[in-house]
Amino acid sequence: MAISDDELLDVIAQEALIDRARLVREATLEDIGLDSVDLVSVVFAIEEKYHVEIAEDAFAKTGNLGDFLDTLKAQIEKTKA
Amino acid sequence: MASGPRRVVVTGMGAVCALGNDIAQTWAAARDGRGAIAPHLFDPGPNGPAPHTTPVALVNGDIVGLAETTLGRRIGASLDPFALYALLTCHQALTQSGLMGAEVLKTRSAVVLGHGFAGIQTLELSYERFYGQKSARVHPLTVPRVMVSAPVSAVAMEFCVRGPVFAVSSACSSSGHAIAQAAALITSGQVDVALAGGSEAIATPACLRAWEGLQAMSPTTCRPFSRDRDGMVIGEGGGALVLEALDHAEARGAPIIAELAGIGLSSDAFHLTQPSLEGAVSAMTAACAQAGVLDGRPVLISAHGTGTPLNDANEAAAIHAVFEATWKTQPVIATKSAHGHLIGAASVIQGVIGLMALKEAVAPPILNWLGEDPHCDLNLMLAPATPIAARSLLLNAFAFGGLNTALVFTLPD
Repeated sequence: MAISDDELLDVIAQEALIDRARLVREATLEDIGLDSVDLVSVVFAIEEKYHVEIAEDAFAKTGNLGDFLDTLKAQIEKTKA
Repeated sequence: MASGPRRVVVTGMGAVCALGNDIAQTWAAARDGRGAIAPHLFDPGPNGPAPHTTPVALVNGDIVGLAETTLGRRIGASLDPFALYALLTCHQALTQSGLMGAEVLKTRSAVVLGHGFAGIQTLELSYERFYGQKSARVHPLTVPRVMVSAPVSAVAMEFCVRGPVFAVSSACSSSGHAIAQAAALITSGQVDVALAGGSEAIATPACLRAWEGLQAMSPTTCRPFSRDRDGMVIGEGGGALVLEALDHAEARGAPIIAELAGIGLSSDAFHLTQPSLEGAVSAMTAACAQAGVLDGRPVLISAHGTGTPLNDANEAAAIHAVFEATWKTQPVIATKSAHGHLIGAASVIQGVIGLMALKEAVAPPILNWLGEDPHCDLNLMLAPATPIAARSLLLNAFAFGGLNTALVFTLPD
């Protein structure tokens, strides 16, 4: 079953202690205030939840939250495959 | 170099504890005798033993949210509560001092904070994952959240302090030692300004059980110097002072809250958990002598006053020894009865409340007192709040392991 934006956003909100309402695809990580330290926590939580490993350089070209979600999904699918 | 040691003054204060999330709330509750000790249920989760209820004094409200509102930026989950308390209290203290954003922070300032423990909440959650959930993967931010220097680093980054920045630890005297070290950096001429104080957040299920194992915890409440007192109660929070060279404060026209007029530091070299009379007397005498307050003038004594049978009797004997015949007139307060024992932050939170008491000329009452103990014959300030004439504060902290700090602050003329 495909992973939804909502379930990933729930993890981000919980791990980085961000108001869930602010997490929309169009927002940039900078807008939301997600820094590299937050990303470490978020990626760790995603890895634990989906039992996958996400490459360290996976987010090099991430622009906005939508890109980030798509990258996460691709990484999860790739390591599950 | 100027001749003579530089004088050190307080130009800002901050407080977060169970009594309130700023100085005004904390002082109002202490003065009005509104204690914050209450039973709380601690649940170690499905892999731990049964939940248990014990009295504690917890900080109220959403501290991450408060910190984000105060600092005007997102903080998220990167800091343990003990670092959040440090950020909040240092922000308050810098704001009061008028030094927020000042160039001196970048060039000639220090941060020295004391903590008896470290990021215990983070450590406990990580160990629960490891031992309880049997996960070999521990959260990647565990180390930066747990380390005892996390609060000073967070404070230095937040306020751009680029001088000496470090944490000190001496159990229940940690913030007393932090204030002493920060003052030494100023008197030696290394800096002009120092943020000093401490924070603690150890009210967690396993840590509280560890304290209970010491047989020093009260199952009811904290009753300093009272008959039938039966131990201490853990509190959480932090406090901060802006210490500043007198010449620097005067040059910028800063309002001076008090002068740090005497510092006494000693070690019992005696026992891990029992206090010694000699160690306490030595620290108190040194601080009072340096400040010149042993001439019979009234001195407000903020006692370490943990509510344990041993500490309070030993401290009462030490006050008799130091003040000799004048002990009967020296007002003694013991605010752990209101905000609990903040361990590493105990000295600074009591310092902040004590300085407010001097300024307002009112002694906040000792709470939960049941009646006299002949081993604690002191001029105890009981409810209601009593007017006082003292212009100096003696701030005691006597830590497990026999590490003692006594600080004397005096109001400006």
